[in-house]
Amino acid sequence: MNLKEFIRIAFHSLSANKLRTALSLLGIIIGVASVITMVAIGTGAQEQVTGQIGAMGSNLITVSPGFSRGGGGRISQDIADVFTLEMAEAIKNASPNIKHVVPTSETSGLAVYRGNNVRVRISGVTPEYQEVINHYPLVGRYVREQDVANSEKVTVLGSEVASELFGPENPVGQSIRVVIGDRSYSLRVIGVMESKGQVMMANYDNRIYVPITMLIKRGLKTRYVDGYSIEAASRDVAKSVVQEVEVFMTRMLGDADRFRVMSQDTILETVSQATGTLTLLLGAIASIALLVGGIGIMNIMLVTVSERTREIGIRKAIGAKRKHILMQFLLEAVLLSGLGGILGLGTGWAGGYWLSRGLGWPFSVSPVAVVIAIGFSVCIGLFFGIYPASKAASLDPVVALRYE
Amino acid sequence: MNNSSKVFIADGIDKVYAMGDVKVNALRDISFSIQTGEYVAIMGPSGSGKSTLMHIMGCLDRPTSGSLYLRGKDIGSLSDGELAEIRNTEIGFVFQNFNLLPNMSILENVELPLLYAGMPARERRTRATWALEVVGLADRLRHKPNEISGGQKQRVSIARAMVNQPAILLADEPTGNLDTATGKEIMALFDELNAKGNTIILVTHERDVAEHATRIIYILDGRIEHFEFRIQDEEEHVPVWEVVEA
Repeated sequence: MNLKEFIRIAFHSLSANKLRTALSLLGIIIGVASVITMVAIGTGAQEQVTGQIGAMGSNLITVSPGFSRGGGGRISQDIADVFTLEMAEAIKNASPNIKHVVPTSETSGLAVYRGNNVRVRISGVTPEYQEVINHYPLVGRYVREQDVANSEKVTVLGSEVASELFGPENPVGQSIRVVIGDRSYSLRVIGVMESKGQVMMANYDNRIYVPITMLIKRGLKTRYVDGYSIEAASRDVAKSVVQEVEVFMTRMLGDADRFRVMSQDTILETVSQATGTLTLLLGAIASIALLVGGIGIMNIMLVTVSERTREIGIRKAIGAKRKHILMQFLLEAVLLSGLGGILGLGTGWAGGYWLSRGLGWPFSVSPVAVVIAIGFSVCIGLFFGIYPASKAASLDPVVALRYE
Repeated sequence: MNNSSKVFIADGIDKVYAMGDVKVNALRDISFSIQTGEYVAIMGPSGSGKSTLMHIMGCLDRPTSGSLYLRGKDIGSLSDGELAEIRNTEIGFVFQNFNLLPNMSILENVELPLLYAGMPARERRTRATWALEVVGLADRLRHKPNEISGGQKQRVSIARAMVNQPAILLADEPTGNLDTATGKEIMALFDELNAKGNTIILVTHERDVAEHATRIIYILDGRIEHFEFRIQDEEEHVPVWEVVEA
């Protein structure tokens, strides 16, 4: 059979009724476009989130307190007072692949400069922390060894904090007051961090950094820290470092439930899974539109078949076989849905692009989504075209010829 | 008479339609034969069953009982696909209302049977152009059916019927939708085609049209009522018809 010729005939019939063709195309276009857009948004969100995690340093490993299980009337809660400053040095010996171990603590407080005040997160850190989370000062300097050793009352401001307190003024060298709990401290500003923006749930620009010793000894009056940030030598070894640290700390603390060790990769996995599910869900919802478009095609094909009963009779009278008629109408349906798929891909691509730009997300259409959308729409044409086409093909030529 | 020279042999054809509970005998015990190159008219008033007979002869329908042999093949025993192939290669249909496909050019309409026969494009074009030349429409190839007159449409329909060089041309009231003058032209074309050796079967209720044939099979109420044979009157040059009861 001459396929090229039959495709031409199908095009002929489609162009004979342009408005109808356009309307049934529209159904498929909307379906495919929404699948493409939704999946693009989903994968864009995924890339955005994973990109942010990656920006924090993918060799980052965090050690945080474990939970005490609830039960016997006690409420489940974080186990506090486990980690000490000194343990940081010890943990560093857990594996040769550990570059830095930074003890960290965090609290919230109020930063005040003249008439301005702003609520901030206060992070107690050591100098290595800037390297560990890949976040450096823009002006001035970071916390130094010396500051940590002497529990100096110095601070590095997040970019947002600096601009809210000082406006255009240079904060370096000025003193701000920081209220922690019911006490107030005067801290000298030694630097301002570069802007990092929102990373995951945390905003790194509305915090201030102080020497860890200053925070826990002067501010919180404790000898314990919240946890540790560990930088592995590379991403590849991060997984083994996690295990080595776990083994080491279990031996040191005698209880594996008192701490948790997590690498960025584990977090990344969890997040990817969540956003992957989201993408799938969005795609599934959009597929319903595609399905509806398919039903539209079936509807229009059924109308076409009954309208063209006489034509089918003529074709049969001059020798068209069942397969010829079947193929003619099936090709029309597939051409319709395939064309809709391609146009929908373009529309969805454009829609996804503008939406992603509006949301400030990276835009990406995975080739898999493209293949699936086009393939799926062609399959929809086949599936919803087969019934009308076989109805046409099995018409009795005598009856079809008499049809007015 | 040798059977191999016969295109059609109808042997006791019955056709029964079931209309709900009522059974309608459209054809009863139809028997005749048609020779290669013959020019036959099947005549009868409307409702006589001639259209049903034409559908069976055109392989669009099968007899309920009895046999119809086309070039020795029993039509009733063939599958739908085989019948379609016979319609494509052995039979050329000419319809009362032309039955051209409106969205296609005249050339494409004539090419259509060849397309279903699986002929390559170049050959189709050559054959279809030839057929349109035979009916005198070689200059209208690109026109659509709605751009030409009724007589021209019937010529296209004839070109389409003969493009595959079928065993028989089957014409159903070919002049029914045409004015008298145009009808005469079309009948002249059929005469010409028969003179070139084509077997032609006309189905009509008009005596004028039927008299172009050399034999008339007259049908009434689903039966063959009589045959008429044309005898040329030597002196008058006017055809005289001899009636033979069935």
